[in-house]
Amino acid sequence: MKNLFACVLLLLSTVTLLSGCWDQQELTDLAFVMAMGVDKGKKEKFDVSLQVVVPASVASGQNGGGGQGSPVIVYKSSGNNLTEASRRAAKQIPRSIYYAHTKIFVISEELAKDGILDLLDALDRDAVFRTTTFVTIAKGGRAEDFIATLTNLDKIPVQKFIKTLQATERMLGENIKVSIDDILANLIDPGKEPVISAFRLTGNSKKGTTPQSVVTTKPPALVTADGLAVFKGGKLAGWLTGNEAKGAVWVMKKMQGTDINFNWEGKKDAVSTIPFISKTKISLVTKNGKPSMNVLIETSFKLSEINVPYEVTNSMSMDVIEKKTAEQIKKDVERSIHKAQSLKADIFGFGDYVHRVNPNIWKKMKGDWNAQFAKMEIHVKVDAHYRSAGKRNNPFWNDLKQ
Amino acid sequence: MEKAKISARQLFVLVVLFEMGSAILVGYPVKLKQDAWIAILLGMAGGILLFLVYYRLFLFYPNLPLTSYVQFIMGKWIGRFIGFFYIIYFAYLAARVLRDFGELLTATVYTQTPLFFLMALLILTIIYALHKGFEVLARVGELYFGVVYFIAIGGFFLLIFSGLIHLENLRPILENGLMPIFKSVLTQNLTFPFGEMVVFTMVLPYLNKPEKVKKVCISGIILSGINFTIACVINIATLGTGLFIRSPYPLLSTVSKIELANFIERLDVLFMLYLIIAGFIKVAVFTYAAIIGTTDLFQFQDHKKLTLPIGLFILLTAMMIAKNYAEHIEEGLRVVPIYVHWPFQIIIPLILLGVAYFRNRHNQQEAVSIK
Repeated sequence: MKNLFACVLLLLSTVTLLSGCWDQQELTDLAFVMAMGVDKGKKEKFDVSLQVVVPASVASGQNGGGGQGSPVIVYKSSGNNLTEASRRAAKQIPRSIYYAHTKIFVISEELAKDGILDLLDALDRDAVFRTTTFVTIAKGGRAEDFIATLTNLDKIPVQKFIKTLQATERMLGENIKVSIDDILANLIDPGKEPVISAFRLTGNSKKGTTPQSVVTTKPPALVTADGLAVFKGGKLAGWLTGNEAKGAVWVMKKMQGTDINFNWEGKKDAVSTIPFISKTKISLVTKNGKPSMNVLIETSFKLSEINVPYEVTNSMSMDVIEKKTAEQIKKDVERSIHKAQSLKADIFGFGDYVHRVNPNIWKKMKGDWNAQFAKMEIHVKVDAHYRSAGKRNNPFWNDLKQ
Repeated sequence: MEKAKISARQLFVLVVLFEMGSAILVGYPVKLKQDAWIAILLGMAGGILLFLVYYRLFLFYPNLPLTSYVQFIMGKWIGRFIGFFYIIYFAYLAARVLRDFGELLTATVYTQTPLFFLMALLILTIIYALHKGFEVLARVGELYFGVVYFIAIGGFFLLIFSGLIHLENLRPILENGLMPIFKSVLTQNLTFPFGEMVVFTMVLPYLNKPEKVKKVCISGIILSGINFTIACVINIATLGTGLFIRSPYPLLSTVSKIELANFIERLDVLFMLYLIIAGFIKVAVFTYAAIIGTTDLFQFQDHKKLTLPIGLFILLTAMMIAKNYAEHIEEGLRVVPIYVHWPFQIIIPLILLGVAYFRNRHNQQEAVSIK
């Protein structure tokens, strides 16, 4: 009897300890933030917009397609720091704001020019927010419009961002995924400056926010990847677009795939090759105490298109294509290096490399590294190797009737 | 002393889990940046030498815990005095480690929960386990050792396959020379965690084959030291020195970076599992040493009467030792190693060894048979 009493008492005391889950959060009480955008505020420092998922419209029911309304809602709030703005957003949102699933953090161009440093500690420190979240710059527009634009390939707009970023990273090589961790690491590293992928909003941003925009085949507004934004001292210093961005991605060792086009006998961009494996090696050479860098890029490519008569089956003639491809890559890379040097921003991490391989030289140079980088000699060498020509031998151009 | 017997394997598992314990969470010498792992390896080497001191003392009195043989070595009253301070030392370390885990949980996952309740849940479980005896603790260790290794190896491969390990972050090696490393070894890495092996002087007599003590413990120290070094290297390689320094818990930051195949991500739960297991073992071993020391010194018949009061004493101490995390860590890194660890882990054992050597130099046999 006494034992039974003790058992019951013990069980009851456990209940008091276990039931009081201070941190329980019910799914239905959470507002999942998928994307967060920050603009330069009108009255206060930051205008923050939060893209919150509407679970009822996203859930795919049996009768297909889920609910009717918009899949996301954008809430706006402002404040002099991120915490203030995000807590004030609670005035409009009927659930508690949950940041763990935030996929994208968008910064407007205007704010990026003023500096992004004031944004970062809140993101770095928060226990829930993930520092693996991607950061992008809204080029020539407001971040708010970006995250309010609806898309049709993917129901939740943020997925579109992510997938566009991944697709261009794989297919075009003009963008790279940059997370908050990467930005912070590059900001504090004296031998490297951060770059952030940029997006541009084309079309009518007002129309892009209505669900009607999703039911047409020609969306009124589209979010498009557009090169890389270069930062210096936490402020936007310049842009790398098109081939410049490609060149930078080669040097940063992030190239996954791209296309290389060049003219042939006066015909513009007549040949297109697609590199699919690439390797970049950086080395430091010191001559008479004066350091210079060597960049060696090795890549294998396939022939994708050739719009002139050509002996594709002849290995000698393919050597010429190899050479041309290498030249074109070298041109892109040199252009991007010159651009970075003119911005005095070492986005490639050459300084970091010097620090790793030769700490003694680095000690002398790190004081004004960006100035040293701007006037440093950088030699680029590209080896391109031809691998395959797809499923045809010589092009039909060879047999075309005159 | 309790009438418990543990096998060599159980002792080995306890040593490994105890040594890795909280060190793998908060014990990195982050000031050394990319050279932190060297200090850990040197600390391990020093820890083995220190353990040989404890082992020699154990050889003089293989059937007694530290609090008993200190009375034979230093005389009844001085010995009891020192023994009493060792009990306080073990209880204090139990409280420190308990607080470490409580702070970590409140800072990362249980952001709304009061510290007191998290620590209370952990210490109540420990009190229950220790009430059942040391053999139970040893079996718990054996059970969870596999789990810990499964998590560690799984996490290791996931990190590699996510392409997160950038070994170039470890360069340049020895950028600032060896002096900062030696300083860090002496003030931090030797004493935490390796010097904490001193607590095992209280439980070594439980081993069923006393001749295996040396082999088991030293291999345990080496295995845990290597694991700790690997963890450190992986943290630096994954996070880079900047984030490594900025993270209060580098391993947590590392684990939360894993993103594989778009669905294996946010694996913080692995880290939390490890945290609870290692925290349980480490706090339990320290608490047990305090309990058994008190039983021995004040000649209680049964240690069971002491588990609850000493457990609660440790819980309250953990609440009181610091008013916030900054104070707790500052004490742990600046004050405790030099003013607390050094005397209890190095100076007193060396004096004891010296005196014991002179007392027993004529015949070793007599020394062993003193009971």
